[in-house]
Amino acid sequence: MNYRITHRTTYAYSEPVAVSHHAARLHPRVTDTQRCHTFHLKFDPEPDLLTEHTDSFGNLVSCFSIQKLHNRFEVVSRSFVTLSPVLQPDPSQTPPWEEVASLFCDPVPVDLLDPCQFVFRSPLIVHEVPLRDFAQPSFKKGRPLLAAVADLSSRIYREFAFDPKATTISTPLDEVLEKKRGVCQDFAHLAIASLRAMGLPARYVSGYLRTRPPPGKPRLVGVDASHAWVSCFVPGFGWVDFDPTNNCFTSLDHITVALGRDFSDVSPVRGIITGGGDHTVAVGVDVEPVDA
Amino acid sequence: MDSIGTLTPSEYASRQRTADAVFLRQGVTFTVYGDDQGTERIFPFDLMPRIIPHKEWERVEAGLIQRITALNLFLNDVYHGQQILADKVVPAELVLSASHYRPEFKGIKVPHGIYIHICGTDLVRDDKGEYFVLEDNGRCPSGASYMLENRNAMKRTFPGLLQSLPVRPVDAYGSMLRETLAHLAPPGVIDPNIVVLTPGVYNSAYFEHCYLAKQMGVPIVEGRDLILKNGRVFMRTTHGLQQVHVIYRRIDDDFLDPLVFRKDSLLGVPGLVSAYQQGHVALANSIGTGVADDKAVYALVPKMIKYYLDQDPILPNVPTYLGVDPKECDYILNNLPNLVVKAVNESGGYGMLMGPHSTKEEQAEFAKRIAANPRNYIAQPVLQLSRHPVFQGDHFEGRHIDLRPYVLYGDRVRVVPGGLTRVALKKGSLVVNSSQGGGSKDTWVLWDDE
Repeated sequence: MNYRITHRTTYAYSEPVAVSHHAARLHPRVTDTQRCHTFHLKFDPEPDLLTEHTDSFGNLVSCFSIQKLHNRFEVVSRSFVTLSPVLQPDPSQTPPWEEVASLFCDPVPVDLLDPCQFVFRSPLIVHEVPLRDFAQPSFKKGRPLLAAVADLSSRIYREFAFDPKATTISTPLDEVLEKKRGVCQDFAHLAIASLRAMGLPARYVSGYLRTRPPPGKPRLVGVDASHAWVSCFVPGFGWVDFDPTNNCFTSLDHITVALGRDFSDVSPVRGIITGGGDHTVAVGVDVEPVDA
Repeated sequence: MDSIGTLTPSEYASRQRTADAVFLRQGVTFTVYGDDQGTERIFPFDLMPRIIPHKEWERVEAGLIQRITALNLFLNDVYHGQQILADKVVPAELVLSASHYRPEFKGIKVPHGIYIHICGTDLVRDDKGEYFVLEDNGRCPSGASYMLENRNAMKRTFPGLLQSLPVRPVDAYGSMLRETLAHLAPPGVIDPNIVVLTPGVYNSAYFEHCYLAKQMGVPIVEGRDLILKNGRVFMRTTHGLQQVHVIYRRIDDDFLDPLVFRKDSLLGVPGLVSAYQQGHVALANSIGTGVADDKAVYALVPKMIKYYLDQDPILPNVPTYLGVDPKECDYILNNLPNLVVKAVNESGGYGMLMGPHSTKEEQAEFAKRIAANPRNYIAQPVLQLSRHPVFQGDHFEGRHIDLRPYVLYGDRVRVVPGGLTRVALKKGSLVVNSSQGGGSKDTWVLWDDE
């Protein structure tokens, strides 16, 4: 499956901005099942300084600074990616979740050091006790890991309403838990916090969804913007992604951009400005399937 | 010493008042958070100096040098290969879950591979006179200014006394600190611009930030005084922008750069971390050093010394029970009245339970907190801390003390001969932190008497 992706972020300021610094994580990841053939960033106005580095989670970060007065700023990323089908282990054949959790207790095997860093609290996911209570019903004794994950995902999908007005980027998890509404970011955080509360590693994945559904299929929730889902670790297999917002394991519709402990590690465009007064942000994402 | 020894109690009291006046006039203050009686306080000073013989100091010095060397090797390892975790010498779980561990900072080269340039290690002595390390402060240790001011007050109160005694001077701290910082400057910079970066006047150690800047003869700046241009850091001055090469930062990691860490920070400089990564500016201490002074990771330092240096620790740790270990956690919960419980990331005596002096309610409250988040707590047996005479109105009484020497790691490791002796002014109290009603004393390290 090939996709042409356009991701446009536009900032408009009520007062001129003297200096702005931004860090963007927009480059689609290269994985076993995803290739990125082209990637371009276009800026308006042109930044005075542009550097790139890879962060410790393997995401490519573009840092740019604008040092002249500007009232608006736009960054557009265009990429062309190819996805091949993701091989999914049979959930009932995965090891019991307790067995997986016990691997991450001391001493941690050397080859599990990398997933191990995703077991702990992170800047935005600091709640543990109420989430254990929330997660518990999905993690019945001896249940295979992915079966428990699928159950957790479907509970979030059933019990929570998708409501873009209910939360903001900074809404804490207990409020989401109480209101039972939120957006993909909240559901991803909720699933990650639940997995971690059970002692299991979980990563936050940011990316895109296919905009137009294949004929006869319903449109997925979360298109036309960045989407977020969760990656959980299956020993002997690797990371398996699932999307609690759409209650599915990911495959040919999900394009991975960045990975981290939570949203704070992967926010697509993050910036600091001097001046500017009030500002508004507009984000537009288009994911267009292209025939090979 | 005769000149102190022959004083009558009333003469001594008048000297103590002189010293108090010196502190008031110099404005030697610290700030207490969360207290209605005003924020800034004069730092209480007791005139009777603490004396450390040469032999004793030699051992302390060697122990501190060994410790900071191992801590730096550990940090360099944790942020690069993580060999020590792979070799299972220390539990990966414990290190990776430390809240001051910064995975964002993994793989980034720092000047000379040194992370902790300035360390303030807290030492205590038990009833047998043995020194123990209580904790390492590898983030922004404070107190060096009080060490300098204590000596200054002694000199003013007893003019001429110190010249006649074999006491090693501490005055060189300012220039030693400057040399340590200058050593970090980017290659090719001969006369680097150094600045002290402070969070501002409301910080508890603001006095110290100004004082050290003055001692080094360098500007003191806030985040808003610095800007980034072309990947380099500049200071706004009345003569225009001036490039900064080394920043002695007294701001926590979280607030350093809103582009990388806490977005709501107004104290830091956006883009600073990126300039640091590119080697255009140096920071002291480096980022992420908090993983080494996490109180649970502290318990592992003797293992690090063995692993990296193949030596036995010269200065032992205080025995420590880790909440994260289920067996040790049970022990903690069952022995709360006999233990000191500390939250792993708190400092300044906040968030701790002194078992023997606590009420049943306090113990129950802590038991609840420990059970909810065991990783966040450690416990240590109550040490019979050594005591030292303290003048109380018209006579001396024994009070518990500790010692914080300062270690600087530049082209080599140096320990300032002296340090800050803190004293618990409340009778029987074992908590020496200034924020909890502690005071301090001048610390005399003697020259070799041969």
